Amino acid sequence: MPESAWGWLIVAYLFLAGAGSGAFLAAVACDLLAPDWSRTLARAGSLAAGPLVTIGTVCLVLDLEAGLWQPWRQIYLVSNLSSMITWGVIILSAFIPVAFLYAAALNEITFVGRFAKKYLLHLEIVGSVLAASTAAYTGVLIAVVNGVPFWNTPLMPVLFMASAISTGLAVAMIGAAILDINTIKTLSNFALGHLIFLSVEAVVLMMFIFMSLTRSVEAAASADMLISGVLSPYFWVIVVVLGIVLPFLLSIVEYYKYGELHKYLVIGADLCVLLGGMSLRAVIIFSATPPQVI
Amino acid sequence: MPRYGIAIDTTKCIGCHSCRVACQNQQGLEYNQSFNWIKEKERGKFPSFAKEFVPLQCNQCENAPCQRVCPTGAIYTSPEGVVLVHKERCVGCKYCIEACPYKVRTVDHHEGIVVKCWFCIDLVRAGGEPACVTTCPTQVRIFGDLDDPGSRISRFIATHRAEPLRPDLGTRPRIFYKRS
Repeated sequence: MPESAWGWLIVAYLFLAGAGSGAFLAAVACDLLAPDWSRTLARAGSLAAGPLVTIGTVCLVLDLEAGLWQPWRQIYLVSNLSSMITWGVIILSAFIPVAFLYAAALNEITFVGRFAKKYLLHLEIVGSVLAASTAAYTGVLIAVVNGVPFWNTPLMPVLFMASAISTGLAVAMIGAAILDINTIKTLSNFALGHLIFLSVEAVVLMMFIFMSLTRSVEAAASADMLISGVLSPYFWVIVVVLGIVLPFLLSIVEYYKYGELHKYLVIGADLCVLLGGMSLRAVIIFSATPPQVI
Repeated sequence: MPRYGIAIDTTKCIGCHSCRVACQNQQGLEYNQSFNWIKEKERGKFPSFAKEFVPLQCNQCENAPCQRVCPTGAIYTSPEGVVLVHKERCVGCKYCIEACPYKVRTVDHHEGIVVKCWFCIDLVRAGGEPACVTTCPTQVRIFGDLDDPGSRISRFIATHRAEPLRPDLGTRPRIFYKRS
């Protein structure tokens, strides 16, 4: 396996930033579309978004070297607007406070929350744009890298966006069950959401793999690593079966046996989506194959 | 101002790694750290086959992907066309390592920054040549001014139609190879 300069900390960051921004989008969607019966889910999503993206950003900072030991160097991170990391720093710096403020407003936490509640719709609009930017940016970050042909495709941000939305919905559903286990029945309403987003993710993933096979020798080498190479057990078992197929099937059952599915199966499906989302990032980062230069 | 480059004749390389050791000495690198690699490539099938040694170091790209992606602006191009690193600005995010198609950048874990070949610019500015060039026992490398059509390097590139590695990547390297 080729050695990558980036490891698990970056994988965790890509996943957490995606899941956090997805949870924010899920919360906004619930609050705007069905504030009456999906209130718990909106609350859970809003409460999870800020902390998840923050933990992800901490992982990103921990991966730095000189920038970690001499933190004042991080001020330079916004120097180069042609670097996606500079854009990422700007987007994250804007999104994290908005996400916390939105959680405070929606849950009416402290006087800040009660004050911010007056501007709830504004927070939702600005926050959604920033959340979508965060999710897409994690894909663009690695898509603009021409040192790894496998990543260098416009499908990358689309794939990460799709995964961010499905993992975000899973986070919000788990959070809703933690906040109030009685909502487990109403969670069946969101099974359809899972079906749609997991299908989109599966289609984009399939296109990504198929197109990589013909795009270049190096991209094909990476794709082969996932389909039949060293990473194939993780790709097929964790990413495809546990992360997409199993939650998809459980969501179908959940949708038709409205509210009757056992609570552990509902939560289990969501945990599988999260496991799949994390593993998707891991196999993409660890299958990086550099161009054949000699 | 000259625009420095190196021409490499792989047909002369015997894979002795002198350039690597000289570079490590010159830059004070540890034994497992290097700005210089000898890649090996096998050509043909038995019984008519050959092994080619291809010395690899920072290509000092004119359109450097590392410079484009560096968030802190730590990577810059000197007036002589050498891609350099501001050691005080680098945070060690390693984005440049991912962006470099030639994979010639390494992390200096002592200083926590990413480092690479810089054409021994201190020696060059003092009138010398990079350590890898002067050390090579078979004189694989030619160092010189790419903008001077009369320089040894320019004449070598023109005579042998030497080409950079993977010109299709659009990075416009300043290292040229004669491969056969």
